[in-house]
Amino acid sequence: MITSHLKRNTILFRSIFFLLFTSFVFILNSCYPGEALTASDTDVIATFFNKDADFSTKMTFAMPDSIVRIDEDGNPVGDPGPYDQQILSRIKQNFLQMGYTEEQDPANADVHVVTFVTTTLWASGGCYNWWWGWWYPYPGYCYPVVYTYTTGTILTVMTDPENQATLDALWIAGINGILEDNSAGISIRINNNIDQAFKQSPYLGEGK
Amino acid sequence: MKFRKIFYWLFLVLVCFLIPQNQGYAQKWFGAATYQISFPLGDTKDYTDNTSFRGVGLDFRYTLNKSTTVGMAFGWNVFYERTDDTYELGTEIPGAITGTQDRYLNSFPIMANIHYYFGERRGVRPFLGLNAGVYRMVQRLGIGISAIQNNRWEWGVAPEVGIIIPVDRELSIMFNGKYNYAFTGESVVGTDINHSYVSLGIGIVWQQ
Repeated sequence: MITSHLKRNTILFRSIFFLLFTSFVFILNSCYPGEALTASDTDVIATFFNKDADFSTKMTFAMPDSIVRIDEDGNPVGDPGPYDQQILSRIKQNFLQMGYTEEQDPANADVHVVTFVTTTLWASGGCYNWWWGWWYPYPGYCYPVVYTYTTGTILTVMTDPENQATLDALWIAGINGILEDNSAGISIRINNNIDQAFKQSPYLGEGK
Repeated sequence: MKFRKIFYWLFLVLVCFLIPQNQGYAQKWFGAATYQISFPLGDTKDYTDNTSFRGVGLDFRYTLNKSTTVGMAFGWNVFYERTDDTYELGTEIPGAITGTQDRYLNSFPIMANIHYYFGERRGVRPFLGLNAGVYRMVQRLGIGISAIQNNRWEWGVAPEVGIIIPVDRELSIMFNGKYNYAFTGESVVGTDINHSYVSLGIGIVWQQ
């Protein structure tokens, strides 16, 4: 009688144990929990600087009145883009706010600032299926999903004209994001992201 | 993705095969399964500030005498935070990145341990323990449409306190707390850091 009771308990507890851990595995099935991204959530602003640069001595800048547009093969494109002047204007405005003075003659400027823009069409896809299908790729449980999106990149490079031979940039700001947005949305994002590039580069205003 | 599969199968092997095989060693082995909530500390908190509600632990302990056990502990703690913070790069070329970031840390402790128990057998038993071994740290930083990942083995220790409260002859409830500290850590971008977090667990103890 006692043995039988213990056996029943053993089965019960082992079952609880197994179910508990199976549940844990299900609860934890995602190593990468997350939330959906909007177009603006894909914006990335990356800035890098030359750690040997003395920005306190670089307070005048010159920049061309056009943007260098590059196609997906790396070749320059002649046609201007709809946001080119807005981008140039915003960059200039930020430099002025940081205490820089614009020089019309590049020969007199401490630094040269050149901006490049490129767009890239991405195609991606995947297999939409339920959880077990992830482990066991049964063909019947896979629904192929294909989607495309275009990303735009603004690259602003600051160089020292006295050090052109080294090709080392003093400062680089890269802004990247998905262009699936209306024109007003893209315009706002461009301004905000250029502002952020300067905000996260306080060393640029050391000579102020 | 591969490590998740390995961990899943490890759980199944332990739950389905290892425990039943210990039936012949009455009172020598016991297992504990815990659900864990973890609080990041130090460098880990700087990376993912959120409390982790995704965590499990699995212990197997061998009774040396009435107050001491040695054993193995396995765990899985998932830390996640979405943030717009600027991430300062302590890399060779310094810089910063801003954007919506999904920061992940999956920590898999695999440790040998020793525990000392107070109180009498089959009574309420507070315990102290020391775990030492390795952590498999899987870090991922998703930003924009890109992601970087750093997977590492890190040496570490985890002092532990807890209490086992018997429910009946074969089942007990365990509460425990561990201070996890890895002393050979690296950030997702490869800079030296030390991961640390406190995990609080509640679970069942399976007496054999």
